[in-house]
Amino acid sequence: MNCNGCQHLDEFKKEHGTEPYRIIYSHFIVCKSADARRRKANQCICYVCRLYAPRLHACMSCVYIGCYGRGHIHEHAYKKEHYLAIDVCYGVIHCFACQDYVYDKELEAIARASTPKLPLGVGIKMTFLEWEPSDQEIDLLRRNSKRRRVEERSTIGLRGLINLGNTCFMNCIVQALIHTPVLRDYFLADKHNCNIHMNLNNNNQCLVCELSQIFQEFYSGIQAPHIPYRLLHLVWTSARHLAGYEQQDAHEFLIAALDLLHQHCQATNGNVESGRPHHCNCIIDQIFTGGLQSDVTCKQCNNVSTTIDPIWDVSLDLGPASPATNGSHSSSLCSGYSNSPGNYDPTSLIDCLKRFTKPEHLGSSAKIKCSCCHSYQESTKQLTMKKLPIVACFHLKRFEHSTGYHKKIATYVSFPEELDMTPFMSSSRNNNNGYSLQVVQEAARSLSCENKYSLFAVVNHSGTIECGHYTCYVRQHKDQWFKCDDHLITKAMPQEVLNSEGYLLFYHKQILEYS
Amino acid sequence: MADMQERKIKDAQMRAQINQKLVETGERERLKELLRTRLVECGWRDQLKQYCKEVVKQKGLEHITVDDLVSEITPKGRALVPDNVKKELLQRIRTFLAQQSN
Repeated sequence: MNCNGCQHLDEFKKEHGTEPYRIIYSHFIVCKSADARRRKANQCICYVCRLYAPRLHACMSCVYIGCYGRGHIHEHAYKKEHYLAIDVCYGVIHCFACQDYVYDKELEAIARASTPKLPLGVGIKMTFLEWEPSDQEIDLLRRNSKRRRVEERSTIGLRGLINLGNTCFMNCIVQALIHTPVLRDYFLADKHNCNIHMNLNNNNQCLVCELSQIFQEFYSGIQAPHIPYRLLHLVWTSARHLAGYEQQDAHEFLIAALDLLHQHCQATNGNVESGRPHHCNCIIDQIFTGGLQSDVTCKQCNNVSTTIDPIWDVSLDLGPASPATNGSHSSSLCSGYSNSPGNYDPTSLIDCLKRFTKPEHLGSSAKIKCSCCHSYQESTKQLTMKKLPIVACFHLKRFEHSTGYHKKIATYVSFPEELDMTPFMSSSRNNNNGYSLQVVQEAARSLSCENKYSLFAVVNHSGTIECGHYTCYVRQHKDQWFKCDDHLITKAMPQEVLNSEGYLLFYHKQILEYS
Repeated sequence: MADMQERKIKDAQMRAQINQKLVETGERERLKELLRTRLVECGWRDQLKQYCKEVVKQKGLEHITVDDLVSEITPKGRALVPDNVKKELLQRIRTFLAQQSN
């Protein structure tokens, strides 16, 4: 069994070359157009049974198609001494003299060259190709022979973080980022090539490099907690509003950190498109940036004006309906959006999302000039998700900062381990003109897996708004959860995670599609 | 007796017609891709791959042919397909046929 065919195939190639294979392959095996498909449908039938039978083979020496199951292609082969035939489904060559399939490198290359456009024409995304190491990678593997075996009970990738003075807010976000699978793969594959110059003291100013370094620390196998003093210093010098020894908000830190990482990635990649902060191709945008669609429907003429804004997280209101607040966060460009129609207290993440995507009637005091009928009219506004990021972060707004008082909303909000975002997508809205319960039920039976997410990290705040502490739960292997309390890492039960209060919820897309 | 024969022929013709429609519209390719995805997701592919390796080990790499493998693993493969995958594909085909008759 090898890639050099067999003597019969060699003889055939000598006599007829590779053209016959290429012609049969590109006409019958792959169909690049609707016409080709029609032709295949009509002509690919067994010449004896006159039916579409299983395992049809096309003779390479003449125009004959026979099925394998009933031996019709065999009969033809022996009768006519045409010993080579091609399987119509897969394009592999069967040699009836050798009585087995034979593989030829040259012909396989021809097959590969004829195939690329097929899936796209029919609406299928690119087919999966297994990874094969390049020569350089093989060399690297040979030279670095130490291997670490990751088993179910391995704790590699888990490490505590020392609290440097109320820095638990930072530690939690770091833990969540370290356990973000796609981000971890990016850094462990050493994809960041830094372009940022060192500063005067010859210290690296790039936050992405520092994060890469932290990944190395976490996967080094060292069990003692890591002291993230360099990270803290970088954050202090780059995000002044987070400097100081006071307790900060973990969510603010998350947005600031993502923003900084994104800026430093941009500086490296050189795609500096000022004014379009979320449109570069850096790893942060690829993973975290989603699109929030806002549809404003004019009550008079029903014209819908749509805008899509990039967001890194979804901020959800808790508690009873408060005056609609549509502000973005103090730090940086574009973080979360929030609106709060509805007159009930949500007790679950799904409730919060329902409220978030419910059409809201903008009162008479908020009339908008309609671009279609050119008059000031009342309108309804609805938010839906246009594009979902690979990692979706939900922020439960537990901290109320009204004039005069600060309060923490400590109500229990349940959140699921698996989340289907289909009912909250813009496409669901377009089918239903507004959210409805029916869509949720349909989603449960949904055949598509594009909008399914799995929980992988939960950041919790315990205590009051004046005096509190952040901890987080992270998911290690598929069913193992660990509680990260600064330098203490302990195993946790999944139910414990789901019963926790929940402040920041990190969900990861279950299945990543190639496109 | 003759009825059975007739029915068989009609069935086969119907099957051929359906298949033709499936190929023409490209639905066959899409269904194949869906089936592939589902079988990978539920671990069927890995299970069968493992079984193939065992069969090859048994028979020896030098003497194994594709036909041998096919006859060995086909019954097992058919049995291992989860019911929900079968249901899903049948549903897809039914929907497709319903659309076609409109």
